[in-house]
Amino acid sequence: MKLLLAEDDAMLADALQTQLSGAGFEVEHAPNGAVADYLLQKQSFDIAVLDIGLPMMDGLAVLQHVRQTQPALPVLLLSARDALDDRVAGLQAGADDYVTKPFDFPELVARLQALLRRSQPNTTSALLGQLTLDHASRRAMVSGLALELSGREWTLLALLANQREQVVTKEQITQAWSAEGGETSGGNSIEVYIHRLRRKLEDAGLVIRTVRGLGYLMEAQA
Amino acid sequence: MTAPVTTTPPTGQVGASLVRQLLLWLLLPQLVLWMAGGVATYRFAAGYANQAIDASLLQAGRSLARQLKPIGNGLLIDFPRAAQDVLEADPTDRQLYMVSSPPGQFILGNQSLPLPPVQDKQDDILLNTPYFYDGTMPVNGRAALHAPTGQALRLVGIYLRFGEDAAKPQTMLVQVARSSANREELARRILVDMLLPMSSLVLLMTLIVWLGIRAGLSPLARLRQQVEGRAPTDLAPLQLASAPRELWSLATAINTLLSAVQNTVATQKRFIGDAAHQLRTPLAGLKSQTEIALQLATDPELRARLQRVHDSATRSAHLVNQLLTLARAEPESVMAHDRKRFDLQRMAQTLTAEWVPRALRAHIDLGLDDSATAPVWIEANELLVREALTNLIDNALHYAGTGSQVTVRVMADHTSATPLALLQVSDTGPGLTPAERERVFERFVRASDVGQGCGLGLAIVKEIVERHQGEVQLDEVLPHGLCVSIRLPLSPTPAA
Repeated sequence: MKLLLAEDDAMLADALQTQLSGAGFEVEHAPNGAVADYLLQKQSFDIAVLDIGLPMMDGLAVLQHVRQTQPALPVLLLSARDALDDRVAGLQAGADDYVTKPFDFPELVARLQALLRRSQPNTTSALLGQLTLDHASRRAMVSGLALELSGREWTLLALLANQREQVVTKEQITQAWSAEGGETSGGNSIEVYIHRLRRKLEDAGLVIRTVRGLGYLMEAQA
Repeated sequence: MTAPVTTTPPTGQVGASLVRQLLLWLLLPQLVLWMAGGVATYRFAAGYANQAIDASLLQAGRSLARQLKPIGNGLLIDFPRAAQDVLEADPTDRQLYMVSSPPGQFILGNQSLPLPPVQDKQDDILLNTPYFYDGTMPVNGRAALHAPTGQALRLVGIYLRFGEDAAKPQTMLVQVARSSANREELARRILVDMLLPMSSLVLLMTLIVWLGIRAGLSPLARLRQQVEGRAPTDLAPLQLASAPRELWSLATAINTLLSAVQNTVATQKRFIGDAAHQLRTPLAGLKSQTEIALQLATDPELRARLQRVHDSATRSAHLVNQLLTLARAEPESVMAHDRKRFDLQRMAQTLTAEWVPRALRAHIDLGLDDSATAPVWIEANELLVREALTNLIDNALHYAGTGSQVTVRVMADHTSATPLALLQVSDTGPGLTPAERERVFERFVRASDVGQGCGLGLAIVKEIVERHQGEVQLDEVLPHGLCVSIRLPLSPTPAA
């Protein structure tokens, strides 16, 4: 995964470069907006992390420029400002996510991976534990063995996997199901499907946690 | 809530009222003029009255003198009834008379009339010249019945010469007196007739001056209204299209100050933004660097020290965030007034969901009470309310401890006089003692040393909630735990 890191603070840039490399990214560093803009136009990246307050050309300008040529490139903005207006301005300029400094590195990586999953949803990707999802054929395997899943079960599992370690609300599940069409049923059937998935994923090293009043969250078994 | 503004100026620090001063300076000279006018009128009136009396006195005196005919060494007094009638013409204003031969030899008439003031200087006395003077009826004088003692008199005295012997002339004094009561009555009447219209004039002038001052000062009242009716953040210049020139300079001075304050506020806002950037970026660097160092270090003591550096950086980052939030929540901040209508239920759902992964890492069961899921609309600053809820959840996760439950709840509360939005965050942690519950709203007070709190969380929550005319309450949860309740005014449902 090729990542562009545009950050002018040398200490933070150096640390991020090291950590991101450790997390499996191939990192290219741009110390200012002009270099970031140049690199984005000349090379192809899978994902970009842009600081808003960059010298020479600010992060939002770089973002707007790159959006003209690469509308699908996942971009995460780093900002030292957290006012709502800045957040909105960033997302309006075309950012996919927004992280406020200082941040926890695992959170940054989790968000980057979520962005990558969203930008490449149809690739076969090895997921948590022993579970593998093949989006193209809508099939899941645990330790190489195919799981028998109904349409709804697949949709639910894909949703939980795509937003793993994040809460998937019941509303989101209902929406995903109705987007696929098919049968409609009562609200408590979500619990029924979750129960079935839990049984089928017993050996996958995954747990689906119930989040009181909100929904569900899938994560690796501790 | 802003403290009630006291409108009564503290005594001893404020100068006298402008209205009172102006009235004093305008009316004091008027009063002096009024009094001087009264005195002058009385004098003039008395003078004219005297002239009239004196003329009649002189006439009477001369008539009386004519009736006195010297015969040899004596006097023939021809005092017919007609002359007496003249002298006693007015029964209420009788004339008195006396003829004497100085020194002190009484000849005729009412005894003991006061003598003219020239009596002592015999040599200077002019003959046949009337002397007019004032006097009073002597107490023991044998006066006529109708002339009570002590009465004020106007008198005339004429010295005459008689006797044939030119070598040994004799002097005779003819005096006629009249009560001056009539004269004073006349003067008093003139005075009253003059003073009544003059007093009305003074009163009228006072009224006109007072109204004039009021009208003249009304721009000042308008200026006060403009200043009083302002929001603390409204720093627009005062509008003074019709203000008099005298006020103009004051208003200009205020406007200059306002624009200076506006600049200061803008600078402060910029400073907050800049400070955020300047502090957060290096802290993020410090944190990330220590995280890497922690991964590389193998020496346990080195690791422990690095962990401390990392914790300290994390705490500093947290503190910076909290301080900036507090600065934004303060009433001086323009941001605190930027409100819009939003669903608190939805915000609580999203925010709680965002915090669940962190809660799971801390082995805390964070959830939402879904017994009430209806939207709860409030009109508030979304970012600040979000910050308040973030602080409540963060606090609960910090202090409730591993294995506890933290529940967020949003509902409309229709039991109070005005419908309220109720937001609660309750936990099953150790809770707080009543004494601690009192203190935790103060800045930099921490209930315990657990976690990385900086003691600003609840102070921020309180600040934000009070900014929105709401209130914060801490309650005990049984068997143990803490429940923080925020009540905010519910936004009325807009007409569909």
